[in-house]
Amino acid sequence: MWRSRVVLFLMFVGFLALLGRAFWIQGPGNDFYAQKGKRVNRVIVLPSVRGKILDRNGEILATSLEAKTIIAYPETIPDDLPASKIAAFAKLLKMSESELKKKLSDSKNQLYLRRQVEPEIAAQIKELAIPGILITSEYRRYYPDRESMAHIVGFTDIQDKGQDGMELSNDELLSGKDGQKHVVIDRLGRVVDDLGDFQPPRNGRDLQLSVDSKIQGISYEALKKAVTENRAKSGSAVVLDAITGEVLAMANYPSYDPNNRSNMTGDQLRNRALTDTFEPGSTMKPITISLSLEKGLIKPTTQFPIGHLQIGKKVITDTHSYSVLSVSQIIQKSSNIGTSRIALQMEPEEMWTMFQSVGFGQAPKVGFKGAVAGTLKPYEKWGKLDQATMSFGYGISTSLLQLARAYTIFARDGELVPISMVKVDKPPVGTRIISPKTSIEMRNMLELVTQEGGTAPKAQVPGYRVGGKTGTAHKSLGKGGYASNKYDGFFAGIAPISSPRIVVAVVIDEPSAGSHYGGDVAAPVFSSITGATLRSLGVPPDENLKELVQIKDQGLAQKVVLNR
Amino acid sequence: MNRAVVLLILALMTCSLMLVYSQQRSRMLYAEKNRLEMQEMRLNQEWGRLEFEQRDLSKSTRIVDIATKQLHMKDAKQDKTIYIRDKSN
Repeated sequence: MWRSRVVLFLMFVGFLALLGRAFWIQGPGNDFYAQKGKRVNRVIVLPSVRGKILDRNGEILATSLEAKTIIAYPETIPDDLPASKIAAFAKLLKMSESELKKKLSDSKNQLYLRRQVEPEIAAQIKELAIPGILITSEYRRYYPDRESMAHIVGFTDIQDKGQDGMELSNDELLSGKDGQKHVVIDRLGRVVDDLGDFQPPRNGRDLQLSVDSKIQGISYEALKKAVTENRAKSGSAVVLDAITGEVLAMANYPSYDPNNRSNMTGDQLRNRALTDTFEPGSTMKPITISLSLEKGLIKPTTQFPIGHLQIGKKVITDTHSYSVLSVSQIIQKSSNIGTSRIALQMEPEEMWTMFQSVGFGQAPKVGFKGAVAGTLKPYEKWGKLDQATMSFGYGISTSLLQLARAYTIFARDGELVPISMVKVDKPPVGTRIISPKTSIEMRNMLELVTQEGGTAPKAQVPGYRVGGKTGTAHKSLGKGGYASNKYDGFFAGIAPISSPRIVVAVVIDEPSAGSHYGGDVAAPVFSSITGATLRSLGVPPDENLKELVQIKDQGLAQKVVLNR
Repeated sequence: MNRAVVLLILALMTCSLMLVYSQQRSRMLYAEKNRLEMQEMRLNQEWGRLEFEQRDLSKSTRIVDIATKQLHMKDAKQDKTIYIRDKSN
């Protein structure tokens, strides 16, 4: 009997030992196992994809493509790794062997060895099969339009955060949220089990802009050519859809390649059409004169004696001297004296209200960070001289986009339209500034500018009737001084005159190869952008169609006749 | 009594075997799901790359460049253009 008791006792002791051991592992002595466990439990980040930026026709302007990230867990990397493998690995990472070894020995936990690695290189690293190296996917931004679209679209940083342009202004919409999952990984980095706690990634949303990448490309090329040929400092161009208020193109030169920003300077970075202001010079005259027309003070045919005009000590000058000009001719020849005489018939407050109502002195609401307001002095501070010089665009400053927007009143029968850089579904409601009658009268005057005897025959577009106004301004040095030999050349216009569809504004900054007149430097850019844009939009030509339809081929002529 | 015990033992054994089987199956399906998820991601990435490449090749600036420089094409001049209009316009 005692034997069985001994056996029972021994069994009891054995169980007690097991119990004690189990308690030890669970409780006080668990450091060792906890550490072992940590190494295999990993949180894997599931990358979200940033939304694409598309143009109005759905063409990609910015997209995120896969790039690999190489992560190391130095503790897991065996010490007896063959030297050849380390050398190959370092080479693929584009670092020296000693650099790599130093990095690995300095860090204990997770270590990012390199980000934004091309998938091909990542595949080669995977082939090396080094334990403790994890390759995860990330995304990198690509911009197919490169320089031409850079200022509108902007770019992101390495953390995928928008840094400039629409990438910055719409960062919240575009950026997604990374997900994560908790997994168990074996010694070779394979996922063997899921520990629940799964958060799916949420991708960013796409953004469709109002710009047309084709028109943008054409505008950029035309601008680049003009800036180079005129040896100018820079240039900008804006194309607006007069019906919807959408920005179809907004180009600046110099620009940069957002895919490779290593040698970028601040000079290339600015979206000048929005962030830089200038004194608009004579492009202001149609605004001043349309106010006078609207108030019934003048008619297009009203004759004005020009002669000599002196206000205080300051003499207002024209490029040529005239004795008498009609209002139409004042626009056509761009007479400062004539415009001043028209302006001086009005009150400063009226002019201020007009300038204010077409958007000068206020930042345009286009959903773009960095859009400036320009300056418009309060009318209480206007003297007679201010009133005269402002009527032809000195002492007031504006961005090119503001100027283009102001011209929508001539394109839309007197309405100012809100502008948008994002595609709009239905045409917005405009605000009436002047009557349709005034608007049409002004359009006809603007057309004269582009005809023989005007300041900008170079703005003509074959097949289309176009109109606009030149501007040539001495560059302001601030504090009321002007540079005698530095100019801005402008052209702001609308097309086609019979039923306007677009507004195009161009500025060439400091042209230095011969002429500096807006009619010589900016008008040709207007011409090429306008022609290409109208063709691209499928706007039918409106210029004297009888001359246009020249049917030489007899067979084709018959076909054409039959189709009619 | 005895018969019930036998039945219960049989049921228990069946359940145990099913448990082992379903666990094995769950692991296999999990591995399969992971694999398919990876594949989905890869295909999405591939699609993105192809989409980008198509866009890059069909850019209007590139087309104009090839048309003018390689094919020596020119913009149609006004005197060589015939505008044909629809009656409704």
